[in-house]
Amino acid sequence: MMPYTYLLINFFTVIICFLASFDRRIQFNKLFGKFLLSSTIVAVPFIIWDIWFTAKGVWWFDLNYTLGAKIAGLPVEEWLFFYCIPFACVFTYYCLEKFFNLDWANVLNNLIVFTAVIFLSVTGILYYERIYTLLTVIVTIITLCYLHFIAQKEWLGKASFVYLLLMPGFFAVNGILTGSLIPSPVVNYNPDDFLGVRMGTIPVEDAVYGYSQFLLNIYFFKKITKNEK
Amino acid sequence: MNFLIVFGVCIFMEGATWLIHRYIMHGFLWCLHRDHHDHSHNGKLERNDLFFFIFASPAIALLYLGVKQEFSYCFFIGLGISIYGMAYFFVHDVFIHQRAKVFTKTKNPYFLAIRRAHKQHHKHLGKEEGECFGFLWVPVKYFKMYFNKK
Ligand SMILES: [Zn+2]
Ligand SMILES: [Zn+2]
Ligand SMILES: [Zn+2]
Repeated sequence: MMPYTYLLINFFTVIICFLASFDRRIQFNKLFGKFLLSSTIVAVPFIIWDIWFTAKGVWWFDLNYTLGAKIAGLPVEEWLFFYCIPFACVFTYYCLEKFFNLDWANVLNNLIVFTAVIFLSVTGILYYERIYTLLTVIVTIITLCYLHFIAQKEWLGKASFVYLLLMPGFFAVNGILTGSLIPSPVVNYNPDDFLGVRMGTIPVEDAVYGYSQFLLNIYFFKKITKNEK
Repeated sequence: MNFLIVFGVCIFMEGATWLIHRYIMHGFLWCLHRDHHDHSHNGKLERNDLFFFIFASPAIALLYLGVKQEFSYCFFIGLGISIYGMAYFFVHDVFIHQRAKVFTKTKNPYFLAIRRAHKQHHKHLGKEEGECFGFLWVPVKYFKMYFNKK
């Protein structure tokens, strides 16, 4: 059973959303191709980041929880992770946007970016020698400023609200990966490279980098699905 | 004590905002602020939203210094600016310009007063004339307008 742990985490992340995709009212299955394209665009830089940090020893995987196959130093399950998580996220966003009017949250765009930029910048400058913290901060600030000031997307508040709604799922998946409920973590972190502040077992950096990954997935998914007109 | 600093800074920031708005935004940075008055911008974002950085940069610097000095007064000044900035964006974006249709029916006289005063400020499309440059605090006559109505 143990070698299937990581694979099963991926599987359970996707399966409900996948089945629901075929619902007549949702019909997300028609967008699978577009989703694959947009999530690949986002996955490339994040996987490079992952390969780099794994090689550097910022984090490492307990191979007892994986089938053992590796590509570029990462377990295959980790590669799948970059499609499974975005799938659940984009699917949820897609459905919520379709069935509910969440536009009210967009009024907070300035406030969200303002607060995040101050908070992240200060953390980044204070702990610049912790590479996971620093890179997370830089990526998130650039993502937020790009989406808000350059691309001028109106849905930042809405997406942030959806990310908040996704938190229980995030805690379940990342919680198990970082060692909740199982005897030892699947992913281990070098204590010198991150803040050491954990929510349960999850490093805060995971939630922040997950936020920028989530926003970028929405951004490219929207961009690609709009082009079909 | 620290609470007093934060509170004092928030009040000071209201004054600073007035000065910045009166002499800088309606002065040499009018080019950035103009589209907030005449709504000539396309898209949701106004160039005026770059006001953002006027609040953010000093706050970041002060918070950083303050933490380095084991939470000296710098930190609390930075915190005050941050909180004022957050209040600014919250009140300005949510209550005054109602970029979303929430709280449109508020009966709260304070919010009605600042909204009224800000609208008054917006009436002037030119750079030179203008009134009500303040933000969270506005001339007493506007408060009177709404508080006495009841
Ligand atoms: Zn003005
Ligand atoms: Zn306006
Ligand atoms: Zn205004």
